[in-house]
Amino acid sequence: MKAAYTPDDVANLDYGKDLGDPGSYPYTRGYYPDGYHSRMWTQRMTSGLVSSRETNKALHQYREMGQRGGLCVICDRPSAMLIDSDHPVGRKEAGVLGWPGSSLLEFEELMDKIPMTGQSLTLLGSSAGSAIRLACVVVLAEKRGVDLQKVHGSVMEYPYANFFGQDDNQPFDFNMKLFLDATEYAIRHKIHMRAGILSQHFQESGGNNVQALAVEMAMLKQICSLLVNERGLDFDDVAPLPYELVSVGTRFFEEIAKIRALRRMWAKLAKETFGAKKEKSCHLLIAVHTSGRTMTYQQPLNNIVRTTIQSLAGVMAGCSALDNACLDNAYAEPSPLAARMSLNTQHIIADESGVADVADPLGGSYYVESLTNKLEEDAYEIWNHIEDMGGMNAALEKGFIQDMLREEILKRQREVETGERVIVGVNKLVIPQEEDFAIPIQEVTTGDSEGVARQMEAWKKTRNLALIEDKLNQLYSDCRKGDRYNLMPSIIEAVRAYATVGEIAGVVRLARGYSYDPFNMIACPFTIQV
Amino acid sequence: MAAEKRIKVIISMIGLDGHITGGQVVAQILRDAGIEVVYLGTYQTPGMIVEAAVQEDVDAIGVSLHASNYSLIEELLALLKERGMGDIPVFCGGTIPQHQIQQLKDKGVAEVFLPRSTAESIVTGIVSTVKGTRAD
Repeated sequence: MKAAYTPDDVANLDYGKDLGDPGSYPYTRGYYPDGYHSRMWTQRMTSGLVSSRETNKALHQYREMGQRGGLCVICDRPSAMLIDSDHPVGRKEAGVLGWPGSSLLEFEELMDKIPMTGQSLTLLGSSAGSAIRLACVVVLAEKRGVDLQKVHGSVMEYPYANFFGQDDNQPFDFNMKLFLDATEYAIRHKIHMRAGILSQHFQESGGNNVQALAVEMAMLKQICSLLVNERGLDFDDVAPLPYELVSVGTRFFEEIAKIRALRRMWAKLAKETFGAKKEKSCHLLIAVHTSGRTMTYQQPLNNIVRTTIQSLAGVMAGCSALDNACLDNAYAEPSPLAARMSLNTQHIIADESGVADVADPLGGSYYVESLTNKLEEDAYEIWNHIEDMGGMNAALEKGFIQDMLREEILKRQREVETGERVIVGVNKLVIPQEEDFAIPIQEVTTGDSEGVARQMEAWKKTRNLALIEDKLNQLYSDCRKGDRYNLMPSIIEAVRAYATVGEIAGVVRLARGYSYDPFNMIACPFTIQV
Repeated sequence: MAAEKRIKVIISMIGLDGHITGGQVVAQILRDAGIEVVYLGTYQTPGMIVEAAVQEDVDAIGVSLHASNYSLIEELLALLKERGMGDIPVFCGGTIPQHQIQQLKDKGVAEVFLPRSTAESIVTGIVSTVKGTRAD
């Protein structure tokens, strides 16, 4: 890195070929000629805590705090892992790190008085759950008489999160099968729900920017290839499916360059590798989550500053949606104060700073264009290496991605220890804990989890059990028809009958030769005709 | 005098939390310091951690915590006591608010390491506590 950049550093830059105007291939400068005047970025907070009712309350609260454009809810660990809130292990953590979304009932309670259209709906969870979350959306739209074509957002998630700190204790083939069934179904039925193929988890686990770009492109290529080659879909129908969630850290210009490079790399992949015929196929929906990992425990008010720098970078890079981490990220789930602070950060940027008035305001900067080129170049090196191994799946099998991540994690740890990487308040200008500002902490007690568990236990008995048994048997029978037989229709039926995530996933597991329960503690409560 | 036995420590996550980076880093820090690490990984119930502690005859247990579900730590401490292993120090590390730290210590946790604790402080903390326990 140099101390100053000049026209010489971008002498070879060809505006038409390398940048394009905002709204023109290769979209380095963004997808809209009018930038944010066409569509403001979605300003949201990730929510999900304690129970569906409490999460619903939080969603209304965030709306009052100015959340606009969309909502975002993250599943708790049990429902993400496809075990129910009343499971012996699940019941201890129901509603602890997210929304206990283990049934259609929970989804209905979550969405109480919240419209399904007019804003994007995003549910974050794990991969296999994609099918069940999609089914919930389909069924609820039907029940409410809402035109499914008008619902948009994302409820599906990629199967690689398991390797990046989001392990769901399910076999990879199980995750892949349900993920591909869900995504294929959505594409064939023109349901505008996307699938998150996220570099965020990789990067929040410790990966650097160049690695994150390479891994993201490799994952996108692998998933799109599977949908085109194995599921027989047209690339132009597949292209609107993925959305990316980028983790944005504090190195301001580098983060902006990363997002610009990503747009260019996807555009080239779409056109040159997959032969996209539609311009829209060259767009990648890029949402930003400011980096939770950078939120320090020490002097948490400093985190407001970090979030601001990061949010500003996301906006100046031209993201479609932004949900920021909160100042208390190193302590607990967001308190109302922390949530309001994060949303206000976005509002102040949107309404007071003027940066959203112009598309790609840093376009043409000698530094930013050089940085964009350099990040892209370095990312291609790693990405090509992954492709030489056979692609993302192969690289994971060989342990390449895991080793790369592990090395980076340890490297960073050493840098912080030696002071080479400065973190203000942590390894520089440290103050005694007693002098630090005491922030409000959002607590979740075990009593809350047990309450959710008991409620589910009681509710389960009130359902039409004969109907559920019938639907689960249909699902089992469909599972036995081979991997190309799409399970979505029978999953939708099961969800409509109020079968839970544990029950649906359990039956699919049984059909695939696994135990009903990934923890081997409970048996299927229904009689399945084998 | 017989050579002192190498210190052996369990590093584990607890419950359903899948965040392993912190645990991985601490495991490496301890290994670099010559401590033997038994890395259990994810989905460890308190019972499983106690079983491993028995099987491996460890000197200390280190738990990486991301969630606010401290009841699992309380369960771990209670189980250790039940098995007559209450003198094995339990260390916690992770995203733990200040008031929880005191509560955990009151319940019997030996020490809580905050995010970004230095390698030196972790190693020193564990070694001195274990040696203190051995001397008893």
